[in-house]
Amino acid sequence: MERDSVKIDFNIRLPIAAFLGWLLPGAGHLFIGERTRGLIFMVTIALTFWCGVAIGGVKNTVNPVQRSWWFLGQICAGSHTVVVLYWSRHMENPPDAEKARLIAYGRSEEVSVVYTGICGLLNILIILDLLVRVEKHPEVLSQRGPPSKTKKAST
Amino acid sequence: MMELLGTLLIHPVVLGRWQQMLLLLPLCLTISIVYKTTKCEKLRDIPLSAVVSWVTIVIGMYAVGVSLLLLNKWIA
Repeated sequence: MERDSVKIDFNIRLPIAAFLGWLLPGAGHLFIGERTRGLIFMVTIALTFWCGVAIGGVKNTVNPVQRSWWFLGQICAGSHTVVVLYWSRHMENPPDAEKARLIAYGRSEEVSVVYTGICGLLNILIILDLLVRVEKHPEVLSQRGPPSKTKKAST
Repeated sequence: MMELLGTLLIHPVVLGRWQQMLLLLPLCLTISIVYKTTKCEKLRDIPLSAVVSWVTIVIGMYAVGVSLLLLNKWIA
């Protein structure tokens, strides 16, 4: 019985996979059929990123104005960073007396920024791995089903 | 549940020096898992190699930290 095949042109598949990989770390691997690997990336990056946010608080962990270099790393984590940025922008600015309750300083700030920044940098590694896998196995990726006859013959 | 989650994410945690040092462990574990997941072709090889890599990174980082601390005290 022949399984359903999804044929997408290589030139389209590559940027789609890369975009999905940026948007949600691990989603690119799911897209190309590497389900377990994709789930490992997805869970690991999400857990670490949101642990970092929990340590430093939403308000000041992602701050493109004050920490522009770290932001370049954080934005590579895709939707996680965008959600935190959106959330922090839509929070009311606290009065001076309450700032310490919402904005992390010192160690908490450092740890939260490092956690989220490293998640972004790790996602670059994940995206590069994804692109290598797409280029290595174009035949397997273009068809989600049994291997083609030409591939069988060659093996 | 959502309220608890919101509170957890909105209010920062106050960390001590030891807690900050301990937070190196999960970060290194994440790095090891992601790196080894990209490297290992067989999925069953990932757990063991990630643990080995994790221990290596943690020992290396603490060794560098202790060396720098000693150097700092020696210079001071």
